Amino acid sequence: MRKLFTILAISLIAFTVVAENKGKVEIPLRFDRYYTYEEVVEALKLLNTSYPQLTKLDLVGKSEEGREIYALTINNPKTGEALSKPGVYVDGNIHGNEIQAGEVCLYFANMLLTKYGENDKITKVVDKNVYYIIPVVNVDGRAHFFLDAQTSSSDRSFRVPRDDDRDGLVDEDGPDDLDGDGNICMMRIKDPLGDYKTDPEDDRLMIPVKPGEKGEWTILGQEGIDNDKDGKLNEDGEGYFDANRNWGSDWQPAYVQNGAGNFPLSGFGVKAIATYIHQRPNIIVNFAFHNSGGMWLRAPSHKDDKVDTRDVAVYDLIGKNALKITPGYVYQPSYDLYDTFGDTDSHMFNLEGSYTFVGELFMRSQETYRENVSKPLPPAAETESSSARRGGNPDETRELVKFNDYLGLNELYKSWKSYKHPTYGEIEIGGWMKMSSRLPHPFMLPELVHRNAMVVLYAAEQTPEISLEIFEVKEIGKNLHQVRVRLKNEKGLPSMSYKAISSKLYTQDILKISGAKVIASGKITDLRNNKISYQEHKPEVIYTAVPSFGYAEYQFLVEGKGEIAVNYSSRKAGSLTKTFKF
Amino acid sequence: MIKKAQSYMLTLLIVSLSLNLQAQNSVRFEKYKTNAEVQKSLNDLQQNSPNRTTLHKIAESPGGEPVYVLEIGKDLKNVPAIFVAANFEGKTPISTEGALYMARMLLDSVSYTRKVKWFILALPNPDAASGFFSGIKWERSVNSAAVNDDKDDQLNEDGPDDLNKDGLITLMRVEDPEGTYLISGKDPRIMVKADPGKGERGKYKLYPEGLDNDGDGEINEDGIGGINLGINFPHLFKTNAQETGLWPGEAPEVYGTMKFIFGHPEIAMIFTLGTSDFCIAPPRGGRKGGVNMESLRVPARYATIIGADPEKTYTMSQVVEMFKTNMPARGGREINSETVAGFLGLGANVNPLEDDLKFYKDFSDKYKSFLKTKGVTTERMSADPDKDGSFELWAYYQVGVPSFSMNLFTPPIISDQKPGEAASKEAGIKPGESDDREKSILAFIDKKLNGTGFVEWQPFNHPTLGKVEIGGIAPFVTSTPPPAQIDSLCRIQLPWLLTLSKKLPDLQLMKEVITDLGAGVYRLEIYVENKGVLPYPTAMGSKNKQPAPAVVVLEGENLEILEGYQRSPLGDIGGNQVKKITWTIKTDKKTLKAHIDSPLFDATVKQIKIGG
Repeated sequence: MRKLFTILAISLIAFTVVAENKGKVEIPLRFDRYYTYEEVVEALKLLNTSYPQLTKLDLVGKSEEGREIYALTINNPKTGEALSKPGVYVDGNIHGNEIQAGEVCLYFANMLLTKYGENDKITKVVDKNVYYIIPVVNVDGRAHFFLDAQTSSSDRSFRVPRDDDRDGLVDEDGPDDLDGDGNICMMRIKDPLGDYKTDPEDDRLMIPVKPGEKGEWTILGQEGIDNDKDGKLNEDGEGYFDANRNWGSDWQPAYVQNGAGNFPLSGFGVKAIATYIHQRPNIIVNFAFHNSGGMWLRAPSHKDDKVDTRDVAVYDLIGKNALKITPGYVYQPSYDLYDTFGDTDSHMFNLEGSYTFVGELFMRSQETYRENVSKPLPPAAETESSSARRGGNPDETRELVKFNDYLGLNELYKSWKSYKHPTYGEIEIGGWMKMSSRLPHPFMLPELVHRNAMVVLYAAEQTPEISLEIFEVKEIGKNLHQVRVRLKNEKGLPSMSYKAISSKLYTQDILKISGAKVIASGKITDLRNNKISYQEHKPEVIYTAVPSFGYAEYQFLVEGKGEIAVNYSSRKAGSLTKTFKF
Repeated sequence: MIKKAQSYMLTLLIVSLSLNLQAQNSVRFEKYKTNAEVQKSLNDLQQNSPNRTTLHKIAESPGGEPVYVLEIGKDLKNVPAIFVAANFEGKTPISTEGALYMARMLLDSVSYTRKVKWFILALPNPDAASGFFSGIKWERSVNSAAVNDDKDDQLNEDGPDDLNKDGLITLMRVEDPEGTYLISGKDPRIMVKADPGKGERGKYKLYPEGLDNDGDGEINEDGIGGINLGINFPHLFKTNAQETGLWPGEAPEVYGTMKFIFGHPEIAMIFTLGTSDFCIAPPRGGRKGGVNMESLRVPARYATIIGADPEKTYTMSQVVEMFKTNMPARGGREINSETVAGFLGLGANVNPLEDDLKFYKDFSDKYKSFLKTKGVTTERMSADPDKDGSFELWAYYQVGVPSFSMNLFTPPIISDQKPGEAASKEAGIKPGESDDREKSILAFIDKKLNGTGFVEWQPFNHPTLGKVEIGGIAPFVTSTPPPAQIDSLCRIQLPWLLTLSKKLPDLQLMKEVITDLGAGVYRLEIYVENKGVLPYPTAMGSKNKQPAPAVVVLEGENLEILEGYQRSPLGDIGGNQVKKITWTIKTDKKTLKAHIDSPLFDATVKQIKIGG
């Protein structure tokens, strides 16, 4: 009896631990927590098995460490084959530490599936498009972010070793979790000649000393030791290989673009996903989620790349609405931040012809401890830096620490504790922890994932809806008819980007008449004045594209009798056929 | 018994040796080899030296053909390797023969393979190479990737057509009021661009031999394939251009080549047999672009952060220092010249670096003398300029090793023309002087090929163009000598590449100087010499940081390093140069050990005696 009780007690404890620390993965998925890599896979498998009619789970490829990269396809086969519909592609977490990007993808999938058939808006967008969702691109990075001690900014890299310090050894001197708390924090040492002193308003913080003032602290950098004894600390950590600089469009080598990798698509996951996307030419809009800073970024990503103003107008339609869905974000071309080469968005926009947004999730300005939050503090200027956490603005830093105290359950900031360092002797370790700075505290996650997923949903609503109308059939001679056709787009995304047209990326939309001989055909350039621009060659095939909220009109001169079919087919906007009889 | 076994072994050795020779000889150079024959030759070479060689399959072409690298010297460790590639463009079969010839020479040699490993990529573009052997000969350079060149509704529907049934794709000329060509006054076989400035008006249009198969008004605009592997590499890759591919390395053959090369950090030099010739003249300079690291401007956006003046110029090291001082640590990523180059948006190098041009020029002079000693006196037409996106440029700029290309054959300049009339000695024939170039080619055809190689213009009734004439220089004439010349061209020219292999950098621990400072403290100076002629790395390799660093490692019991580090990267070391590394150490032992840690240099551990 007593034994049984013990077993019960142990299993109860075990259950409690699991329930508290992880939470069971079940449908509908919860979003007040973060999923480990394994749990993301479990969640995807569960979504797939729970919605077998609407979903398909594909193994896209394997990472450098052998982890599996999955894509969930959501498509209603009753409304058509996947490749016959506009494709909406969403991925995230290409940088290993940017984990909430994965949750946005999972949330989006979860929302489409759990609300399908219950909510008209969702049902409609699920029925019209196909969705390709890869929540975690950098699967190794996500796994290691949970498993290893990290800063909030570390572990971006793919697991591609690189000899950063050029000493013949790779990745041999990264930061070390000296105090074993699962975080890479900062080290400081008492130093009367130091540049910092204790903040009189909060003794956990430091502020820079003014000229003439006595110093108190020198910041030694990230937690670590000189593992390779070369006199430098933490100078050759994981990678560095930035998968978001390894794509094919305008790829530049690492001496030009840091993190580029040795050659385009050399990262296993990048190659696998590039192939996956290339095999799905119907993809018309892409989202790639990152953290942080609160931004919607669009092409171009460097100053020498130009985007046609008509494409900018399409981007603006979604980007400017996104600003209202995610208040506080900015929307701008990616190069406004800084020039990048070989990033995902350029590859998708320049080479695959898909409108692509990068969503930089989360703003620290939302971590408020203040009566009136209607005026948020300005967001940090540099997203990739961690300047905010070291008090670029002391007031902001003080508020962030209070946020940790009163809202963050002390899970974000670590008070300084002394430590005996092998090189520096008596030092202190403390500061912002792994789950801080770039990640919303789990209590804020539900709103973040919903708002950002709603931007994807808005873009999904704007995929082209083309109608084909034969608006005039007139006999103009013996057996000769003038047939006029109008292609109209009810939505904001054109059937083909202007970039794709101008760089001749792929075959334009095709308008064809079958069942009779086409004598001549051409675009109606001015319907009222009856102006037609006839094609010189191949009148039976017209190459076209249907603009955003616009139309295109064509005229065919057709010789023949009986039933005639007009067929429109587009790589990204589906296909249509209308028949009529003379 | 032992004796018997010995003699048995000896017999076996002799048998295998003779087999070896036989099989090596079975790879002959009397005709151009089809893809299957190239594969067979590679297999034969491999199977005859199984202890020295391996065949690596590095890719499969879109046409389903395997692409192999033959490794010679698989048993060697800590030696530099040379990668020899040929015929990326697929239309120079002589270069594939050259690569196989190299392999045979190397397998017959001891001198060039004892301390160097070789990788031979003889046929990277089998899909295109088949063009030479097809029933209808055409200079194909694209693989069989499904590329819809004219972006219409059909794939590969409008390639060339052999209208006159001579098995060759040549040209069509047709009289047309909008024509821009004239028949040359120098030779009626040649078509020249009319020069309106001289009062000339064009009379003819020129087309490649073929039909408008798909009725779109264009002739031969969408033939079979594909991607030209010779322009699908990342350096100066041209986006949205003809036959380059969507992105660099889209072609699996190119991707596989890059992956293989970066997977072998011991590769210290790259040879390319093909259309350009860096043995004669270095990689082209004078391209616009490139960055002067000594004179950088900081964009206003960063200038305010790091306290720089956007109007002033700084050196790279100054800018790096300013970033280090004024910008917080970036998530474990170091602030260095790479990250800073990213912030400043500095581009890639596009012109060869001055220091590298020194050895290119030196070797070029020596190559010319080398050819003279071989009795090569005839002037020949110059090789093609290097192409943007080519393998040989990528090798120099992005792998960061000395890259030497060689063009094994261009037509000789026939002596009844004065040099300079047809082609200047150094620069060769400039593009645009097409009639002079063609005149040279025709002289070669007349004198050396007995007139074969030119298809006389003959009338033909073309279905859409009407009355045309078909004719012109046959495909491959200017790039592919008669098969009887394969052997001698290879025998005379390829040994230069063997000579170059002797110029590789060769780092050795040269000597050490120990000064006893007393109380078990010593100053240790180790001199490392580069016994090779070439620097390690090249200036470009130093810039792009791709070549593996060479590091001097110090080891010993009870060794305490007071000054200096256990692992000391050597940095750049010029040809025939010496570099000194100094340590202050404390030890109670009499010896310590040092060696060079590098994937390509001698790693022999040297015992160093300290004190008495």
